Amino acid sequence: MPDKKEDIRIGVFLCHCGSNIAGYLNMEELEEFSKKLPHVTFVQRNLYSCSEGGINEIKKGIKEQNLNRVVVASCTPRTHEPLFRSSCGEAGLNPYLFEMVNIRDQCSWVHMQEKEDGTTKAKDLIRMGVAKAALLEPQEPIMSEVQIRALVIGGGIAGMTATLAFANRGYEVVLVEKEEALGGMLNHLSKLGPTMTDASALAEEKVRAVTGHSKITVFTKAKVTLVQGFIGKYKVDIETESGNKNIDIGVIVVATGGRAFVPEGLYGYDGKRVITQLELEVLLKNGLASAIKNVVMIQCVGSRNEERPYCSRICCQTAVKNAMLIREQNPDAKVSILYRDMQMYGVENEEMFRDSKVKRVRYINYDPANPPEVEPDNVRVYHALLGRDMDLAADLVVLSTPIVAQDDANVVSQLLRVPIDENGFFMEGHVKLKPLDFATSGIFLCGSARFPANIREAVAQGLGAASRASIPLAKGSVVVEPIISVLANEDACRGCGLCVALCPYGALEIQNTEKGRKVHVIDVACKGCGVCAATCYQHALSINSFTDKQIEAQVEAFLN
Amino acid sequence: MCTGRVDPVIVAEAFKKGLDGLLVVGCHFGECNYVSGNFQAKAKLDMTRRLIKHVGVNEERLSFQQCSSGEGALFAEIVGKFSKTIRELGPIGGDGDRVKAPEIFKKLEAAEAVLAGEKIRWVIGKRTPFIESGNMYGEVFTEHEFNRAIDMIIVEEIEVQEILGKLKEGAQSVKDLAKALSIPSERVFRNITALKRKGMIKLEKVSGRTPIFQLVPQEV
Amino acid sequence: MLDVGRHPNIELLAYSEVENVEGEAGDFKVTVRRKTRYVEEDKCTGCGACAEKCPTVVPDAFNEGLGDRRAIYSYFAQGIPSTHTIDPDHCRQLNGKKCGICAKTCQAEAINFDKEDRIVELNVGAIIVAAGYDVFDPGRIPEYRYNEIPNVVTAIEFERLLSASGPTGGHMDRPSDRAVVAEIEALEKKVRKSQKALDKLEEKFNEPSAAFYKKFQAGQYQDDEDRQKWADKYAAHLAVIEPLEELKKKAAGFTVAKRLAFIQCVGSRDFRFYPFCSGYCCMHSIKEAMIAHEHEPETTSSIFGMDIRAVGKGFEEYKIRGGNNSNITYVRGRVAEITEGPNNNPIVTYEDTRERKVKSQEFDMVVLATACAPIKGIAALAKTVGVELDKYNFIKTSSLSPVDTTTPGIFVCGCAESPMDVPESVAQASSAAERAAEIAFQPELEKEKAVA
Repeated sequence: MPDKKEDIRIGVFLCHCGSNIAGYLNMEELEEFSKKLPHVTFVQRNLYSCSEGGINEIKKGIKEQNLNRVVVASCTPRTHEPLFRSSCGEAGLNPYLFEMVNIRDQCSWVHMQEKEDGTTKAKDLIRMGVAKAALLEPQEPIMSEVQIRALVIGGGIAGMTATLAFANRGYEVVLVEKEEALGGMLNHLSKLGPTMTDASALAEEKVRAVTGHSKITVFTKAKVTLVQGFIGKYKVDIETESGNKNIDIGVIVVATGGRAFVPEGLYGYDGKRVITQLELEVLLKNGLASAIKNVVMIQCVGSRNEERPYCSRICCQTAVKNAMLIREQNPDAKVSILYRDMQMYGVENEEMFRDSKVKRVRYINYDPANPPEVEPDNVRVYHALLGRDMDLAADLVVLSTPIVAQDDANVVSQLLRVPIDENGFFMEGHVKLKPLDFATSGIFLCGSARFPANIREAVAQGLGAASRASIPLAKGSVVVEPIISVLANEDACRGCGLCVALCPYGALEIQNTEKGRKVHVIDVACKGCGVCAATCYQHALSINSFTDKQIEAQVEAFLN
Repeated sequence: MCTGRVDPVIVAEAFKKGLDGLLVVGCHFGECNYVSGNFQAKAKLDMTRRLIKHVGVNEERLSFQQCSSGEGALFAEIVGKFSKTIRELGPIGGDGDRVKAPEIFKKLEAAEAVLAGEKIRWVIGKRTPFIESGNMYGEVFTEHEFNRAIDMIIVEEIEVQEILGKLKEGAQSVKDLAKALSIPSERVFRNITALKRKGMIKLEKVSGRTPIFQLVPQEV
Repeated sequence: MLDVGRHPNIELLAYSEVENVEGEAGDFKVTVRRKTRYVEEDKCTGCGACAEKCPTVVPDAFNEGLGDRRAIYSYFAQGIPSTHTIDPDHCRQLNGKKCGICAKTCQAEAINFDKEDRIVELNVGAIIVAAGYDVFDPGRIPEYRYNEIPNVVTAIEFERLLSASGPTGGHMDRPSDRAVVAEIEALEKKVRKSQKALDKLEEKFNEPSAAFYKKFQAGQYQDDEDRQKWADKYAAHLAVIEPLEELKKKAAGFTVAKRLAFIQCVGSRDFRFYPFCSGYCCMHSIKEAMIAHEHEPETTSSIFGMDIRAVGKGFEEYKIRGGNNSNITYVRGRVAEITEGPNNNPIVTYEDTRERKVKSQEFDMVVLATACAPIKGIAALAKTVGVELDKYNFIKTSSLSPVDTTTPGIFVCGCAESPMDVPESVAQASSAAERAAEIAFQPELEKEKAVA
């Protein structure tokens, strides 16, 4: 729109930042330079643009000089852009008609000894900022209502904890469990370490609380079959015993848990004399046969190997706990644990580990290159620390197998369009900083669906995921910055889906429109990274405030 | 905004307009604020390096480095090293590059057209699935195989763009094109056939026994 | 941090201490002492001009004392709030001397030497304690000689050495070598000063000092007072030059540390100190060894531990990768003693439990993976806030309510509760926020009930 160009009035505010900028750059020269740039109608220098006085000058400039674009050349947008943006807004200028140029951090601070070169560089930066400012378009923040109802998938301890947390905050929750009863893994366990809490009692208590809460709707023997929509506005189909339900949902928590690996073909596993820890739990629950006098446990069965390289975190503590329970039920039973590393991390576990030694549980270190052998009456093991073979009598051999991903983890993954890792566990948004969020807004994660977790961790994560998910529920709406992807050229889009596959946030989808298959940007889910725009071979997608034209203008300004 | 936004077209365009060096600094892998944008950036820029090298630009002029916001000293080191490299190379199209100015800018124009084109963008966009889960026939590529495929596409695509560029100047025969562009004539012929099929060029006339081809004006 | 500083619903009271807590869940009255920074926070722009001019140099606690800062400082570069603080223990002005340079330098007029502590009363519904942990002082383990051998450092100190923004800019310069370099610098400064004085004298007497000194030593000029002074000065100059040359020779052979030992369970799983496992240190050591290898590909590392506890998501894979790609050897065994060998090289004596042999090995540097200890003021804080501690002095919780303290309405997260790594801390912080929100933002319905 060439005729509009005449109307563009850019104000440039040059911040001295005390002496941080003015001490090292020639501000008079920058002022004169800025005045000559295209569309610049007003230039002013301030001691501190971010001070109250500086902000007032910017507002005054907008009002008195009829500025319709503002450029501040100062420090870093990381700390100050929000302030300048909102100040523009207060003066009646669309906040997205503001552009910030950093002439301090990588300019005056770096070139303290080179005033002339530093000033030249600042000129480049300002020219680029002004060139982009001329092409800026007003934007409006994007707001979307949130359905105040949460969906929790999986009714184990993590899922039930999350469900109760939502309900306690006063939010409606739908809990979907594929099995007949709530409780998950708890239903199969005897006592929980290290406090030796009765698992059934705990499960019962939680189930009672969940089923008795007016805000909670529970569907057992049910599964989620379709999820459409995005944060705040999901439409979820649930297949239940009483028919299909279609429910509006605001946020989703994945708490589908894991399952114990069944060690078919390993160490003579037969489910009778050679069993898993999970099967031992059932024996302990019902009372161990008094004939069992010699028990050998083998750690890392099916984990920390080539096929399944991860350490399943909780099997060592389970073994130690069960060893102590065996000694409790059959006080003269001998229990030996054959291990590689005893993963008794933390305060409580290490304490339980020490207790078990006092209670005469025997620990024997084995080398995975020379693993133990299960024989008809005994287990033969090379004791790696004593350096000799040992024969251990064994009425019962217990294999500590890892928690592995649920068989249907990939189904859930596809339904929700969230990723799973190479072991089938769900992949959080950030391993360290966002352990309970998915990269996709509106979907959260807790418990062994993420990675094997003990009871304490599952409860903490259940609460944590509910906490994260409650944020949009508490606000009642999602507001996002409009610096996001837009389908700028709908005709060009062929609906190929290349961008959809690359979007880290699941913010793009293909829709059938009157014009055929076209991509649709779910604006509240988009974070504006720009990968789609840099990928689209039809150049149909663009990013607000970072359009190809704006970037090209900056490049051109730099080169001229 | 993320390094993943860096569109290779803009990179080629900047070089074409006289940029001497471009350093893109992104987050460390696994620390990307936008989950995986830096992987995309690296893949795209690696490919762009291969392409500018092919057209005669010293590939050291384009660099992708990683550094976190807490690593000021590392950032300074990266920038210092890169500035030194570029200073030593001198202005684009000079002693530092295989192809000299002004021809290099013509080459870069072809490069820009390739980078804006469907084929290379599609393949680079599909890099992760190709390397991790395989193409639609289930063939999984190694990194090396993928890069070789990219190289082949680059050679072909640049040839196509150069042929189109040459034809913009006027209708020509296969033989003349091959000579002008130093491309073996059988490859020019193959490209011409493909372009003809796509309706991008047509036979203008037959001069003696030599067919002469011309551009078909394309709708923008 | 930035998000915390910027969020409209967060009021950040940094550099403050809780003095008193009264009330109950849903209605606490908290008294907070806002310690004075002697800097007006709303005026300070964080520009740092003051720190540049401040004449007083103080060891920098943020860099574990490995670097230094000024008496007016920002805690660290990316800190929020970005305001500066005057350290009242070291500031010249606040200790009665004449100075005030910072106040003259500051163009924002933010310095206020008269500013006093302020007491703030807060009314809150719930409280979360996230007081963190202290690094165990390995000086308490005599056989590791942390205080005697300069090249034995803690994992946190090593972290600063690896950091590109740390005191060595990310180079693994050994503390003993850095001390020599610092000494050289100090001596060179001295030499420059004395050389200046000598230059003047040489000009005055129109003779090089060395030639004069020869004559002086031979007995000339014995009665000349001025020349006597010259001779003294030159002798003192030589007395500095000689050791300086020695040190320079020594420093010429310095390289970065390439042979690293990491010792696990320093203070943890140890009945003398903390019997518990600190959980994160194994991974921390592996990470440090991997980064060291990235910085310097010739680096080899040995990690000495009883068990290598790589229990988190992706941790075991990381550990294996470290062994395969980063020259890390995992040695199963407990280190008995560290002694100092030639060239300040620490020598580690340990039992290799797999080979059942006691061995000794020389390294360039030894890194101690120190225990996660409860913070020093935890007992006082617990008393003030009104929560119970467990027997190790962590804040007491239970397995089934992992963030609830013994007092309703008060919650805990992170290493104040027990040792944990980053993802666990983050997850737990959300859990604590959830529990606090359940109390602080009770659904309207229940509130009515409470009133009735």
